[in-house]
Parts: sequence; C-alpha cells; structure tokens
Amino acid sequence: MIQALVDGILLGGVYGVISTGLSLVFGVLGVVNFAHAEFLMLGMYVAWFAWRYLGLDPLLGSALSFVIVFAIGYLVQRTLVQRVLKAPPAAQVFLTVGLMIVIENAALMAFGSDYRSVSVPYQVEGYRLGDIFVGAPYLFAFVAAVVLAGALWLFLERSWSGRAIRAVAQDPMAATLVGVDTRRTYALAFGLGVALTAFGGAVILPYITVSPTVGGQFVVLMFTVVVLGGLGSVAGALAGGIMVGIVQSLSALVFPIQLQNLCLFVIFIAVLALRPQGLIKGA
Amino acid sequence: MRNLFSPSRAALLLFFLAAALLPLALDPRGHLIRVAAMVLLFAAMAQSWNIVGGLANQISLGHAAFFGLGAYTSTLLFLKLGVTPWIGMGVGAVVAGGAAALLSIPTFRLKGHYFALATLAFAEVMRVIANSLGDVTGGPVGLSIPFMGSQPALFAFRSVASYYWIILGLLVAVCAVFHLLASGAIGYRLRAVRENEAAAEVAGVDTFRVKLTASVISAALTAVCGTVFAQFTFFFDPDSIFSLSGISVRMAMIAIVGGLGTLGGPLVGALFLIPLEEVANAVLSSQAAGLSQFAFGVILIGAILIQPRGLMAYWLRTPWAKTRRAAATGA
Amino acid sequence: MQPLLQADAICVTFGGLKAVDGVSFSLNAGEIVGLIGPNGAGKTTLFNALVGLQPLTSGTVWLDGERVCGLKPHKVARLGMTKTFQNAALFPDMSVKENVTTAALLRHDLKGARAKADTVLRKLDLTPIADADVADLTFPQKALVEMARALATEPRVLLLDEVMAALTPAEMDEVMAVIRALKAEGLAFLVVEHHMRAIMALCDRLLAVNFGRLIADGTPAQVAAHPQVIEAYLGHGAAGKEAAHA
Repeated sequence: MIQALVDGILLGGVYGVISTGLSLVFGVLGVVNFAHAEFLMLGMYVAWFAWRYLGLDPLLGSALSFVIVFAIGYLVQRTLVQRVLKAPPAAQVFLTVGLMIVIENAALMAFGSDYRSVSVPYQVEGYRLGDIFVGAPYLFAFVAAVVLAGALWLFLERSWSGRAIRAVAQDPMAATLVGVDTRRTYALAFGLGVALTAFGGAVILPYITVSPTVGGQFVVLMFTVVVLGGLGSVAGALAGGIMVGIVQSLSALVFPIQLQNLCLFVIFIAVLALRPQGLIKGA
Repeated sequence: MRNLFSPSRAALLLFFLAAALLPLALDPRGHLIRVAAMVLLFAAMAQSWNIVGGLANQISLGHAAFFGLGAYTSTLLFLKLGVTPWIGMGVGAVVAGGAAALLSIPTFRLKGHYFALATLAFAEVMRVIANSLGDVTGGPVGLSIPFMGSQPALFAFRSVASYYWIILGLLVAVCAVFHLLASGAIGYRLRAVRENEAAAEVAGVDTFRVKLTASVISAALTAVCGTVFAQFTFFFDPDSIFSLSGISVRMAMIAIVGGLGTLGGPLVGALFLIPLEEVANAVLSSQAAGLSQFAFGVILIGAILIQPRGLMAYWLRTPWAKTRRAAATGA
Repeated sequence: MQPLLQADAICVTFGGLKAVDGVSFSLNAGEIVGLIGPNGAGKTTLFNALVGLQPLTSGTVWLDGERVCGLKPHKVARLGMTKTFQNAALFPDMSVKENVTTAALLRHDLKGARAKADTVLRKLDLTPIADADVADLTFPQKALVEMARALATEPRVLLLDEVMAALTPAEMDEVMAVIRALKAEGLAFLVVEHHMRAIMALCDRLLAVNFGRLIADGTPAQVAAHPQVIEAYLGHGAAGKEAAHA
C-alpha cells in the first residue's frame, strides 16, 4: 500500500512535468494541443539517439531533447498554430489532431515501428527504506522533474520573458499595450510547453520504451492531469500529476493491467463533467 | 416547397443517380466497387457525425465509440445467439443511442475543446473495455463473421454489389434524416444552440433536449454504419473499430473537408478523400509505413488552413448556388 | 390582486461579491416598471436571475403564483417571462425571420411559428428586413429584432435590457409606442434604460438599485426625488444634463 503510494508519487512527479507543458500552452494560447503527446515521443527519440550515438545518459540527453523540441515547437507555432488562434474551436481541434497524425507517422517513417530502449547502469538498482523499495530510474526521473519544475517556476516568476508569458496569458491586449510582442510570446510559450513535455519524455526513457505510437499512451493521461489540476495552472498540473500517479499505482493493485487506464478515463470524464467551471476559470 | 429544383438539389439528385448507376459499369466482385462502397459508407458515417458536429457544432472526437458499439452489438448477437444482423443492427442503434444519452449527461455543458476531449476519452474507454473483456469480445484478436454463402436473411452476400446497394440505401436514409433535422423545427433550435446557447434558452429552446436528441440520432445512425461495416468486412478488432484517427477523426474530417453542417459536405468530402486515400495507399504504402497516414494528416492541416469552411464553400460561392441562403443548411 | 411577477429577497453572490442583495419587488399585468441605477449596480444580473440564466443564492421569484426560481430559462419562457440581451445576442447565421421563428417554436409548430414570426415582425415594422442577414443590421435594428424574438415567445412579462440605446429620438418614440400598445394588451415590462427621457415618459413606476440593493420603489417623481437615489445615481450631475435634454 505505502509502496504503491511511493511509486505513485515518483511516477506522478514526472507526469506533472509532462503535463505542465500542455497546461502552459492552453493557459497562454487558449488552444488544447491534441498533438502534445507527440512531442513527448520526439523528446524520447532525441534522448534515445543521444544515448545511442553520443553515449549520453537520458537524464543528460533530456537537455538536448528540451532544446531541439523547443525549436520544433517554436517553428510549429509560428507557421501553423498561430494561424488558427482566432479560428473557431473546430479548426483548432482539427489542426492539432492533424499535427498529431503527421508527427506520429513521420516518426514511423523515420524510425520504423521498433520499440527502442536504453540501458543504463542504474536501471535495475534501487534503494530500500524499511519495507519500501525505490527504483533508481524512477527516483532520478522524479528528481529531474522536480528540478525542472523549479526552474520553470523561477523562469515564469523572475525573467522578463516569463513575466511576458504570464501577462499574455492573463490579458493579451494589455500585454501588447505595455510592449510585449504577443506573437513572439505565443511561440515562446508553445515551444517551452512542448519542450517541458519532451524533457519529461527523456527522463522516463530508462523505464519506458519508445516507439512512434508511445504518444497515444499519454494523451488521455496528460489531459486528465491537466484537467484535475485546472487548465493553465502550472502548480495545479504538478499536483494533478502526482494524484494521477497515485491513482494509477493504487488501481494497479486492484485491477488487471489493461483496466488501469480505464480508471483514468472515468476520472477524466467525471472531472470534466463535475468541474467545468473550474476548467474555464483556468483559462 | 419553393426551390424544388434548385441547383443544389439537382446536384444532389445527380450524385445519387450516378451512384445508383455506377454498379452497372463496374465488376460486381471487383476492387473498384469495393472502393465505391467505402466512399458511400464513409459519406454516411460523416453525415451521421455532421448532425452533432455540424448542426449542433459539438466537435465529437469519439464517434468511433458508437460505430464500434454497432459493430460489436450485431456481431455478438449473431455469433452468440444466432440473431440475424438485420435485427442486431437495430439493437446496436438502440444501444449506441442509449450510450449517447448517458454520455450527454456529463458532457452537455461542455463546449469546443472540452467536448472533444470528453468524447475522445469515451471512445478510448470503449476500446479499453473491448480489449480487456476477452471472453465476450474476443479481446485484442477481434471478431470474425464466418461466411456461409449468400444468405440475405443473415446479411451475407457473395457479391460486393449487394453490399453496395445496401450502403447506398443507408446513405440516402442518413441524408434524408439530416435534411429533415436541418430544415425542421429542430434545425432552427440546433442552429440557435450552436450560435448562442444563453440566448437560445431565453428564447425558449430547451438546449439540453435539443442536443440530446441530436446526439442520440447521430449515435444511432453511426451504429447502423458500424453494423454494415462489420458485415461488409467480415472482421474487425478493438483497435481498428474504436480507432481515433481511423474512425473518429476520419468521420469528422470528411465532413469538415466537405463542408461542416451542410448536406452535401460529407458526400463531397468522402468522394474526395476516400479515393485519394485509396490511391495514396496503393502508391505509397510500398514506399514506407506511415506515409499514407502522414499524407492524411497533411491534408487535414491543409484543409483547415486553406478553406476551413470546406469544399462546399466553393460550390456555395458559385452564382447558381447563391440564390438561396437556405442552401447552406437545406439542400 | 396578486401581482404577475413577484421577487422576494433575491440574492446573487459571485464569490464574496453580492451582485444582487435582497431585492424584493412586484410587477402587475399591464404595468411598465423602470429599473435604474449606475453601471455595475446589478441590473443585468437581476434580469439574468429573474429569467433563470443566473442561479439565485437565495430568495424566491413567483410568476403568476408559480415559483420560477431554479427553473431553466426555457421553462421560465414557457411560463411567460423572457428578456432581451444588452448587446443584442441574436443568432448571427440566421436571417431576421429565422431568428424570430426559432423563438416562436416555443408555442407553435414550424408552420405556425413562421406565421407568428410574420405577425410579430409586422407589429414592429420589421417586415422589410425579414430576409436580411442579422450580421448586416445596424445596432438599433438588432435591438428591435431582439425584441421581436422575445415577443415571439408570447411573454406576459418582458424584461428589456437597454433596447433603446443608440436609437434616434424618432426611433425611440416608435419603440415606446409599440411598448405602450403591448402594455394595453396586458403585457408587463421591466425596463433597463439609460435615457432618462424614455424612462420618465414610459414608466408607471421606478425601481432604483445601487450596489445590488433596492434603494427606492415608487412613481418616477418620487424616485427621482429620493435622497439616496440622488446621491447614488443622479448626484453626479447626470440627472441635470439628462433633464435638460428632456
């Protein structure tokens, strides 16, 4: 029981960082990015290649994932997403859905459908605290996630760009009036959002294999986390991540493995139904 | 009864006439008639989706749930109890309609992205359930319908042309339902709800009931398409029948590329996309796995950016279609 | 005689803010009552609360002896009360007639609703623009179509939220004539309007609100002379100016 709780928290911290990116994109651009999980997949591939050809541990390779996916995200926002920002929701939904299909299949073409994993020295190691066993890859990923979340918080609070992002999220018009370049800020926020998710993808590589379809496993999970925490709220996404992690590892005790995600979906629909006002407030 | 012979109606009649004559020109067991049948089936699916997505502007990303419910209900009734799929089709429609009504309770307040998310999750729930209840659904392996010769009473035919006729009839029926809804009292109410929900309520529209009616009808028709699909292909599995990109998104995409909320949209969209995909599959699938899907995504993005109102927008801009604004919703 | 509409101590709170704070009043058939108060006084919120768009925090609303609080707006409309929106919330993809027909469907089938829409449009002199796209209308036209749509639900109580804003004096007279004619048929009105001239000429009685509270209820002359009203609303010299115009 406590073991499951600890597992859940470790898993959940990473979910939090992964989902923070999605929340940030929604909070600033007002667009629900259905393609978001595909950037997680891209982050995982970057880290995998960094490990395979540069010998980088995924925990270090994650920095590379962050940078590369940030650049991709920035471009995608400038060339595609920017053009539907004022369009009706249907256009936004299907643009990002189209993006999701494109990225997934581009990966399939480029990397093939093989499952790829890394081997790192600490993969099967762990620490024992009384009855509780903590797997090293889970612990390291959690720590990396927490560090990045802290860095994000500092960036949003302290840096000029970070404050510009928050200003645009609150009131784009007013932000423009005080000299914020909203287009650049939108691209920055989108890039940052997908980069955070890519980073999260990289740090879980030691315990999750990557394939072009890995994003699909995370789509609903990410949205559940974000909705639980309140869309657009960074701290909320972290808390939501930990909650989802706990739910997942606790439900693993009760349900067979295939039904684990089912719990998540049910929670997801229930939260959407019961707290729509909470969601809208987050916007 | 004005505009009985409006250009839009003439074009529509021409379409169905051509569709009815087509089998005469094709080999009844050939590949081409199969593709033509798929065009019509996807047009019917997209039209079913269009009731919710176009008339009510509720962007569903989960219609695969109803499609799959239709396929599973009729097939399981047939395999386990020997009930003919003709009856199973009706049962499937009722089951899917009921599921849509249940789903409406938590989701009717949701709009835009949130509705899309909730419906997407619902289809995923269905997929997970179908995969895990192996004893009943056959699990990930899927279900096959054994072919025991042409038996019209059991919805089994040797000739593809027979399926073609059935699918054509289905498409005509779905289009008729769409037209009745769009031009009837509920059409007014749906458009009002789509455009301003608060104002619609104050003007006396029971917004919940209107949306509920639209989603139940849409789901039931989608389920009928699911049964027909299952009978036509003899085989399906959870991942393909509840597929997000293969079914849910494709239904929506056909309607959007054709023209959201218009009667002709799904027809034009299916006529354009399904053959295109067929060609892409034939030409590209040997090149690299994923290339045709990739192209599918590119087309979707392109369609959204170039003409978000769909191909029908070009038709409606022509002088002879301009005469009546009702063309956009009526015919 | 039982009043047609009665509000008992209704309250609406947003978070900690009391937008409507214990307002009670009544409205009789064939009566036109003006609701006045500075911007942000809670007039629109009060309207929304009466028709069921905004849930009440506490209090009761009776329409002809039936409790209507807690009902959804379409039920309230069915029982005979509806409102217009301050910024004309028409259905933009529909023609004028389609807008009105939609509302007429509340009590008629499609054929009957179309006929009803024709009648209402004729009454408001809107027949010439019946087939126009709503998007092409001027603001005063939109306000009139909005009123036509509300009338098509065949209300007994109609809440008008600034339908006369942006009207020329001549247009205003026309609308007031329509309202008076409807009043003669027994329709009751609650009217929010910033034009003092219109309010004074039209209303049998005035309600003054400020900070969500009802501060005065009486004839236009009584309310205009009420010290709290002068302080809250007319005190900024606006009254003098408006009076000079009138």
